[in-house]
This record gives sequence, structure tokens and C-alpha cells, in this order.
Amino acid sequence: MSAQLSDDAQLIAACRRGEARAMEMLYHQFKRRVFGMAHRIVGATDAEEVAQEVFVRVFRGLERFRGDSALSTWIYRLTVNASLSHLARRGRRQEVSDENIPEQAATPEPERDPGLAARIEACLDKLPAGYRAILVLHDVEGLSHEECAAILECRVGTCKSQLHKARARMRELLGPIGDRT
Amino acid sequence: MTCDKTREQLTAYLDGELEGDRGTAVRGHLRTCDACRAMASDEAALRDGLRSLPPLDPPASMWAGVQARLAKEEVAESERPAWRRALARWMPSSPRFGIGMAFVAAVAGVVLVLHHKHEMKRDMVMTTLPHETQAPAPAPAPAPSNADVTAEIAAAPAKTSQDYAQATKELLAAARTESATWSDDQKQAFDAKVGELQAAIDGAAEGRARHKAYRAMLRYLQGAAIRDEVALR
Repeated sequence: MSAQLSDDAQLIAACRRGEARAMEMLYHQFKRRVFGMAHRIVGATDAEEVAQEVFVRVFRGLERFRGDSALSTWIYRLTVNASLSHLARRGRRQEVSDENIPEQAATPEPERDPGLAARIEACLDKLPAGYRAILVLHDVEGLSHEECAAILECRVGTCKSQLHKARARMRELLGPIGDRT
Repeated sequence: MTCDKTREQLTAYLDGELEGDRGTAVRGHLRTCDACRAMASDEAALRDGLRSLPPLDPPASMWAGVQARLAKEEVAESERPAWRRALARWMPSSPRFGIGMAFVAAVAGVVLVLHHKHEMKRDMVMTTLPHETQAPAPAPAPAPSNADVTAEIAAAPAKTSQDYAQATKELLAAARTESATWSDDQKQAFDAKVGELQAAIDGAAEGRARHKAYRAMLRYLQGAAIRDEVALR
């Protein structure tokens, strides 16, 4: 089964036919990134709801997915759009704190500053939603500027400019963190 | 190189996107400027910190939630009235919508070209006639036919507006039906937005401005009537 569904086209076709195993495979392929993006854009409490909404849209929308972009790009675009729409609908709630950072976080790599991750998460929460989205896509998820531009539906130059401003704002919020030696 | 110029390019430099002389210039400035070096150090640490944030695993219950919501929506879909499915043709993501808009654009283009040619011809006649008094008088154009073309050209923008108005009316009715499931806040927001868009239509001059205002209304109504599908591409 895995070999048969090794590429997006086969996976999409199987999902369109309503094959439960294919749908579950697609879910597992994207669940971490979808949930992670939603979590870092909308916060811990609403992340699951938004991620569920994204997957429902994915499965219902696959019929009309024309492949103009990569499947991953389309799914991440749905994730960002759903997250930003969610924030716009319900207003931003201040909720990211250490005890709310979930659940079953994978083991992080060793850090020089053990508190830095928590500080970064807290500062992310204070950023405007657009800045948060570009930082999550580019820096946290490691997507290229071209991919970010496709997801955010803007030009690559705009994407780079937004990233520059978002990092500058984060630096202001975080204060000195670099190695000054 | 100045500090301002260096800081503008700091993100690109740290991400390895500056090549050749531009990267060298930034690096050279950083060697000599403590303030910019500190800023670069902070940004590099921030970037590394963001990159090393742990991935977040969703709760194990999420897949069951997705399946439950999917089942619920599919049942609702099967009970959806025919008009709702028919609305799909207005979807921007629909190929049929794209073809329809391309057709409208093509027709509009032909109308504009015809209109432009008609204007040029009229201007030419107006400017050349006084200097050609010796030439035989041109045969008069068949007045009724010319009048008909002019009338058609003049009526084209209004006809397009009528089509837009009809589409708006249909979508508005569909959205009103859909609004039965909305909260009071959503209904108020919808009414306010529709009022605002209608005012823009009423206030726009006939032609491109009014058509643009109509398209804004149609896009909004599509989103309202088919809320769960508007984000699909």
C-alpha cells in the first residue's frame, strides 16, 4: 500500500475514492506540520479545532484540487488561511504559557539557552498574526521563500521583507540573546 | 558600508542569500561595528532558536475528531439544496468560473476595441473634412446601422451591470438563506458589509468602476454563501 501511495497523485486519487487508509495516511503525513503551524499561530487552546477544520477542508476540497501547486503547499495555505480566519473571527486570546505548551512535544535538541525556546514561544504569541505566520513557515518549518510566497499568496520579495521585519520585532521583544563573546 | 544598509541586509546575509561582493561588504562591516555585530548575533540566535523549536505532536484524539467532522459535513452536504450546489459555478476556484470570466473579459475587450475604432473613425472624419473641400463628398454612412452600433456600444456597460446585478440578487438570496444558521453578530456584520458594498456600487460611475464594485460584492457573497469552501484553491 505504501509503495502504491508513494506520490501525491496516487495518494490524492485514493483519497478521492474515499479509501479510508489513504486518508489516514495523508493525515499522518501532514498532521504534525498542520497542528504545529496552527498551534503557533492561534495558540494551544484552539489549535486542535483549527487543525481539524483544515483536514476537513483538505478531504472535502481534494475533489477540486487541480494540482496547480504542490499538495503540501495547498495544505499549508489552507492551514495559514484557517488560522488567520480563526483569529479574525474570534479575536486573539492570550494563552501561550509554559503549561499550555503541549502535550507530546518531541524531544528537543540540546540548547545553549534552555529557557530560550519558551521565551521565543511567548514572544511569538505577542507578534501580529502576519509576522507570526511568516516566522512559523520560514524559520520554524524551514520552508523556502518561494514556498512561503506561494502559501501566503504574495511575492517572494514581500515575503523576505516581512521576514526581516518579523525578526526585527522578535529581537526587540526578546532583548539580547546572542553570543557576545 | 553604513549601519543602516547593513541592518537592511542582515536577514538575507544570515540566511546565506547575499552573494559575492554584497555578502563581503556586510561581513566587512560586521568585523568593525560592535553594534551591528551584536544585532547580527541576536538575529542568528533567534533564527537558530526558531529552527530548533520542537515539533508539536497533535493529540491522539485529533484523527477521530477529523473523521467525526467529516462525516457530519458529508451528511449535511447530501442534504444541501440544489441551489447551493449550483452556486459552485460562481466559485473563483471553479474552472467554469474562470472560463466564464475569460469570456466576459473577451467580450469586454471586443466592445472596447469596437468602441475605440468607432471613436478614431469619427475623429478622423471630423479632422479631415475641412481640408478636403475639393474632394467629392463621402457617401453618407447608413444612418440607421451606425446608430444601432453606437447604441449597442453605449449600452454594453449597462448590460454588464445588469448581469452583475442579477448575479448579486441570486447570491444575496442564497446568503440570506444560509444566514439562518449564523449568530446575530455574524448577521449584523453581514448586513453592514452588504450595505457598504451596495453603497459602493450605487456611488460608482457606470462602467468599469461599477463593475469593479459589483465584483467586490460578488466575491463577498460567495464567501458568505459558501463559507466552508471559500478558502479552497
